[in-house]
Amino acid sequence: MTRLVEVPAQFDDRSFDQFAAAYAQAAADGERLLFDAHAAEWASPYGLVGLLAAGEAAGRREGGAGGRERPLLTVPSSAEVVSYWARAGFFREAADLFEVHGKVPKTKPATESEVLLPVTPVRAAEDVHAVVSTIQQRASAILAKELGLDPKATMGFAMALSEACQNIVEHAGSGGWVAVQAYHWRRKLARRVVVIAVADAGVGFRHSLEPSQAKRFGDRWGDAAALEAALIQGVSRFRDPGRGQGLAGIRRYLARWEGKIAIRSGTARIAIVPRWDDDVPLRDGLPAFPGSQVLLIIPEQGSAQA
Amino acid sequence: MIQHIKVHEVLQQSVAGFYADLVTRPTGRAVRESIERALPAGTIAVMDFTGVGCLDYSCADEIVAKLVREKVRVLLLRGTSDAHRDAIEPVLLGHGLAAVCERPDGTLHVIGAREPAAALLDELVAQQVAARTPGGAIALTAA
Repeated sequence: MTRLVEVPAQFDDRSFDQFAAAYAQAAADGERLLFDAHAAEWASPYGLVGLLAAGEAAGRREGGAGGRERPLLTVPSSAEVVSYWARAGFFREAADLFEVHGKVPKTKPATESEVLLPVTPVRAAEDVHAVVSTIQQRASAILAKELGLDPKATMGFAMALSEACQNIVEHAGSGGWVAVQAYHWRRKLARRVVVIAVADAGVGFRHSLEPSQAKRFGDRWGDAAALEAALIQGVSRFRDPGRGQGLAGIRRYLARWEGKIAIRSGTARIAIVPRWDDDVPLRDGLPAFPGSQVLLIIPEQGSAQA
Repeated sequence: MIQHIKVHEVLQQSVAGFYADLVTRPTGRAVRESIERALPAGTIAVMDFTGVGCLDYSCADEIVAKLVREKVRVLLLRGTSDAHRDAIEPVLLGHGLAAVCERPDGTLHVIGAREPAAALLDELVAQQVAARTPGGAIALTAA
């Protein structure tokens, strides 16, 4: 029997909990999963890399390529949407994880200015090097001209991206994906934004930090406490005092440019909320979802509106 | 004697692939280990960042902080951009360390923790590696 996981029509960080709830419910009894994206009208980079993480987790649960069948994925019925997902590099990665149903155009990813970095796998340090190199070539002009960032900020952007990707390599215990896009965010800001989304289906922050931090937190220990320890207190699973600086560095960069960071892991989500946003700083008791999902948003500078 | 380290060259020699960016812990570790092999302990070293693109916190910690903490007496940073210093300074602060930075005009200033910073320029002057300029700044006398 196959269990259905519906992909939200507008699939981004706001609708991700709805997706996670559907995933958790469908995955509970170990049946094969069908990710149904036929009604999808739009997906943010966060949605796309999150869907890949779900596919990997489901494939692992179902035994992967060497075991039982891969999860199914029905592609969006809108030709425009499916074309955009293809240009964003989603299907190139999805082909390894899902049994894809529906017509997928053979489009080369990353040929347009909005896709600063197509969906890109991150498994090792070499992948982080490639990501940083690509983003510096592609993003400088857009960050400076369209977002009004100081050209010097491009390097900080690459640094933030590097640190976000390294969380996968060092902590996830599995591979993950990153995607970077620029778009006009009408709903929230009426400004252009650059969005970095990083997702994996690995062990998550709680598991990664448990050996070094659980005792310190006692009864409070859980996904929310682990996220708080990592993002707010800058703790790391390593004893080396130089560790744990990556997220702190990302926070400093985002503070300078009024950016936002949100991290979801397990059943919790933490965010550093800028003035222009009304997100909740910490949520616990969310539907469980494997690994970690990181969202960074850098808005166009000037004329900020709350 | 001052030891000279061209970081971009060390990067090219230490890591497979032609990278200009100092990112990730494994890369930082490989670069630092290469530097350590050629660097006598307790020396004054000039680390030249010319040609290096992005420097992230992981590499700043692996290379700069660990060399300052464990290997060199004074580390002088040359050819750094604002972005490089943005990565290096918080890492040094986190460890309670400091390093000397050379401005494009050759004068020196210290970045990092306040306490060790005060002694660094004095050390360079005492070793006659640096001297006060007529304008009151401190600059290297050689190198």
